[in-house]
Amino acid sequence: MIDIQTWVNASSFASAGIAIGFGAIGAAVGEGYAASQAAVAIGRQPDQSGDILKLMLVGQAVAESASIFALVVAMLLLFTQQPPHLINVSVCLAAGICMGFGAMGSGIGSGFPAAAACVGTARQPAAGGRLMTNMLVGSAVCQTPAIFSLVIAFILLFTDFSDRPLSPTWAAILGAGISTGLAAIGPGIGGGLVAKASCEGVARHPANAAPVTNLMLLGQAVTQTTAIYGLLISFILIFRVFPETETLSRPMALLASGICMGLGAFGPGVGEGFAGMAAVDWLSRNIRAAGELTRTMLVGQAVAESTGIYSLVIALIMIFVF
Amino acid sequence: MGELGKIHQILIHLGDYTATLNLETMIMTWIVLSCLIVFGFMTARKRALKPGPLQVVGELLVANLYTLTEDAMGKELARKYSPMISALFLFLLLSNWIGLIPVCEEPTKDLNTTLSMGTMVFVVSHYAGIRAKGLKAYLRGYFDPIFFMAPLNIIGELAKVVSISFRLFGNIMGGSIIVLVITHLCYSLILPPLLNAFFGLFAGTIQAFVFTMLSIVYISVMVN
Repeated sequence: MIDIQTWVNASSFASAGIAIGFGAIGAAVGEGYAASQAAVAIGRQPDQSGDILKLMLVGQAVAESASIFALVVAMLLLFTQQPPHLINVSVCLAAGICMGFGAMGSGIGSGFPAAAACVGTARQPAAGGRLMTNMLVGSAVCQTPAIFSLVIAFILLFTDFSDRPLSPTWAAILGAGISTGLAAIGPGIGGGLVAKASCEGVARHPANAAPVTNLMLLGQAVTQTTAIYGLLISFILIFRVFPETETLSRPMALLASGICMGLGAFGPGVGEGFAGMAAVDWLSRNIRAAGELTRTMLVGQAVAESTGIYSLVIALIMIFVF
Repeated sequence: MGELGKIHQILIHLGDYTATLNLETMIMTWIVLSCLIVFGFMTARKRALKPGPLQVVGELLVANLYTLTEDAMGKELARKYSPMISALFLFLLLSNWIGLIPVCEEPTKDLNTTLSMGTMVFVVSHYAGIRAKGLKAYLRGYFDPIFFMAPLNIIGELAKVVSISFRLFGNIMGGSIIVLVITHLCYSLILPPLLNAFFGLFAGTIQAFVFTMLSIVYISVMVN
């Protein structure tokens, strides 16, 4: 017979592995893409190799921050002793899943602007400073979904759940972790696509840098909306105290609401990223169409987001009705 | 680490109802507000054709925010709403920066602050929509493609409040948690000031700007 402390320790080791294992995927892909485009840029313009290398390293450093969040959560899971209570098995797993998947999208996404900025410097060396600023702003906003996952992972690890009934709280906690974790993937990638187009646009037409950066911020902010729905479902699942149940259907409904919102946020995130990417790209080509482009982007993103709202409605129904 | 998630609260009992006041958030909000009032007073005190340094800073801020509003809303509405937009931006900016000072906490770290800001933007944008289009056209907007889409349209509108306020809250809260944890792990050596500069100054500015941009867009979408 294995005692509860062993189960909790086993779970925290497994979760640390999940957190940094999945968390390492995204940033590595993004950084590799940035490096490949830097190589392309240096091949085209060898005289600029110093600037391009600097830009690549700065971009990669920002792209890596999502993985560093995952590393911090993994370290905390390894080195803090969780009290021997069965609920902590679920808490550790949820924190690990949340941070592991949550770091994936932002890592991939923030590689895109770094890559576009490297190619842009080769194309338009004079735009170096503006490109750097634009890339930093874009990739910093890309990190938002990963930061949401980090917030949920920390709230899970530092909230005391021991006085709540084991069933269905275990499922609510696991659902909270899955919801924000999976919901962060799509918006992270989508935000990166918008930032990529904006870096290309600044390099194409440095005089239009200010409106292009503004539209990029707007596009990225709307792209992240579904990640925020995931965050909302997680908050409800964590802070609402559910009455004790004997049946399995109630826990399953709570777990399913997390999965539903997490998966449902993936598509809108990427799709709204495409809408923002094209709008930002064409704003830099044709500044006179600014009003129409902004309106089209917002309307298109709102329609693409409606499927995310369907997931939100179903998740809320599963929490509050069943 | 014990500080994480600890909130200083005052409970006031009014009959059956218990009012909860978050002490830190309120004090910090008052500090931010008084700083802004002093700043506004100082910049506008000695107005002259040849401006002094403070007046230049004030004019630059107001003029840039006005242009931003005018680009999205047009001249007529911008005159009406740009004072509110400027005040909103400056309040959020200072709120996000105040965490850099030791002992001080960002008021935007509290969901109550951001949610009330989001609610304010929601109310103002719907008011602007009703004023511009009339009640009938405004209500017809909810039944847009087909009538049974109305519940989903209403949820979509309410989700705007959630998204705008949780975005700011999550970013500021996340930044402060990261700074706190890294400070705890590496005993305040080298890294925390850099992180504070990144999450407080840089990300704080971006998020204040994003919130302001979204408010402008929400109002202009409701009007058009």
